[in-house]
Amino acid sequence: MPVNAGRLLRVDLSSRKISTEEIPETVARDFIGGRGYGIKYLYDEQPGGIDPFGEKNRLIFITGPLAGTMAQGVSRWMVCTRSPLTGAFARSVCGADFGAWLKFSGYEVIIVEGKSEKPVYLHLADDKCRILGAQEIWGQNTKETQSWLNNAHGKNTRSACIGPAGEKLVKYAAIVSDRRTAGRCGTGAVMGAKNLKAIAISAQRKSFLADQQEFESLAREQIDIIRNNPGFKNHKEWGTTSTQDITNEIGIFPVKNFRYGQLENYKKILGAEYRKLRTGDMGCYSCPARCGKVHTVPSGPYAGAHSEGPEYESIWAFTGPINSHNIEASIAADELCDDLGMDTISAGSSIGFAYELYEKGLLKKSDTDGLELVYGEHTPMVELIKKIGRREGIGDLLAEGSKRAAASIGNGAEIASIQVKGLELPAYEPRGAKSQGYNYATASIGASHCYGYAGQDIFGSPIPHPTDRFSEENADIVIYNQDNSAYKETGVICSFAGGWGWVPGLFGKMLKAARGIDAYADNAYLVKVGERMWNLERAFNIREGFSRKDDSLPARMRTERLHTLRAKGEGQIVSHQEEFLDKYYHLRGWTKDAVPTAEKLEVLGLGFTVKDIGAK
Amino acid sequence: MSIEVIIPPFLQRLAGDSISVNVSGGTVRECLEQLIQLYPLLEERIFTARGTLRKGINIFVNGKSAFPRELGKKVKHSDRVYIASIIMGG
Repeated sequence: MPVNAGRLLRVDLSSRKISTEEIPETVARDFIGGRGYGIKYLYDEQPGGIDPFGEKNRLIFITGPLAGTMAQGVSRWMVCTRSPLTGAFARSVCGADFGAWLKFSGYEVIIVEGKSEKPVYLHLADDKCRILGAQEIWGQNTKETQSWLNNAHGKNTRSACIGPAGEKLVKYAAIVSDRRTAGRCGTGAVMGAKNLKAIAISAQRKSFLADQQEFESLAREQIDIIRNNPGFKNHKEWGTTSTQDITNEIGIFPVKNFRYGQLENYKKILGAEYRKLRTGDMGCYSCPARCGKVHTVPSGPYAGAHSEGPEYESIWAFTGPINSHNIEASIAADELCDDLGMDTISAGSSIGFAYELYEKGLLKKSDTDGLELVYGEHTPMVELIKKIGRREGIGDLLAEGSKRAAASIGNGAEIASIQVKGLELPAYEPRGAKSQGYNYATASIGASHCYGYAGQDIFGSPIPHPTDRFSEENADIVIYNQDNSAYKETGVICSFAGGWGWVPGLFGKMLKAARGIDAYADNAYLVKVGERMWNLERAFNIREGFSRKDDSLPARMRTERLHTLRAKGEGQIVSHQEEFLDKYYHLRGWTKDAVPTAEKLEVLGLGFTVKDIGAK
Repeated sequence: MSIEVIIPPFLQRLAGDSISVNVSGGTVRECLEQLIQLYPLLEERIFTARGTLRKGINIFVNGKSAFPRELGKKVKHSDRVYIASIIMGG
């Protein structure tokens, strides 16, 4: 069977040179695809210390080896780069159709280098890539931009673009496709720094499989498994619009900038309340779940607000941080962020940070352009989103993310900056779900819930073993979740689809049929690839100056006790972080300084990093 | 004795859109059986044909996972039983 490692498109916006490369079989064997390709190319091609907004920072768009096929939940795509928000490795994942269209264009990877003098966009069609002027769409929001591109290039066009936030270099600007976002880490700002407004792809369906017949047989098996999985049925009906029901129930729904773990009167924001405003479902290419629940506000001050979402994280981002129960405001805020092209998690968290500082008198009305940031008041939140997206007034400061904003404000503002490595925490309180918290602390990109989701703590998953969610001793669980998440992201599998009963097992066989590489069929091999990726990302971050001190939960988690109102977990605090890290590094085969040993790197086939990071 | 069983969103439609019910069982199993007496359509979403919990279903009692042997776990007056479906991510 011939090996199908995929093709790579390289675009240098400075020289306007465009070239095509075959991805080497060795890279496919060792890194499979998706996030594996992302970290491999990024590590190899750029030295440490480069400016995230500079010409040398690569912006890498990647789709998965199974994308664009009849297989379900595998047509997502991601972006890897050096983050302007954190300075660390960045990977940001997105859905809709763009991943499939990228595959149909004949490429699995696009590496964008350099910087255009003027705003441009890329158009891929008929195996050709053109760099075209974007003056007409520069300044337009993501909805308008995609509509313009569809008019210009026809209905078989799908695009990924930035909005005003990316153009203004908001540090947590997103890249948007349809109404889905590659939200985290500020990849949209890197795109804006390159003066790249969009990538548009016009394509017809094509197949790029090593063994088409075998693959289709496996895909049919996958479809059967998924359709009979109860988790799939639940997800299809609700998406994540009801996760706040359980996180409030067990006291891990962060409120008032992570000072409380439960929203007072949280019944007002339950999934059932969002359902009353639901007006449709949207989904990604070849996924039957259609988990994007569309909401429309029929009346009141936010009448007409219409968004695919908010999903759980965004429901939290626009209620919990400001102690609001107004679900209409959360829908309007979600739509605004998608239009402007911003990560809802970092936006919501940065706004929660500002509300806390206003309460403490560290920000005054004269600092906030006259806005009164009083808990429970949602109107100022919506105004702040507009200001951040265009860097106006106080929005210019908050567009830097809470870590930089706190450093600028001083006077103790740092305690209110709830982030790891500069990336704001998502909607799971670490003191009530400590394995999840330690995943945040150690994750390559900063505080990401998807980089090693601790379903054991949050939903009581018993695999590989159950956890006491208040225990700080589960380093093995954190590593298990991280390495398993990493290998699934080689296929850019949807986080949810990965839990519908076909991974592990069938996934490896499908990869083998797609690529023609036998080793993939062994699940232990896949986990090893996950570990390899994790170590290479660590090496990347060490090269960028990160060390043990950066593997830390925010000070609030370590110095202030959690208040949960009526839920379990009152008084919880993180008190054994250093002991946890010692254990975690030991199990990873790293030194106490958080550096992989030379032996570990050699075993993983990463000997080329030893000198770079001074491994011993 | 009154125990509140919280019905999660993915089961509410099968329970007449109820969000919770009060029952009087002494164990988690007895509470769930009383819930199913009220709303029989819930049975196949919670239990297998062998009477065990379906894969992916987990029970929390007062905010703490009851795994393992959750069906035999004793409950007392004013306890809250929450039925969760395990999902990853989001």
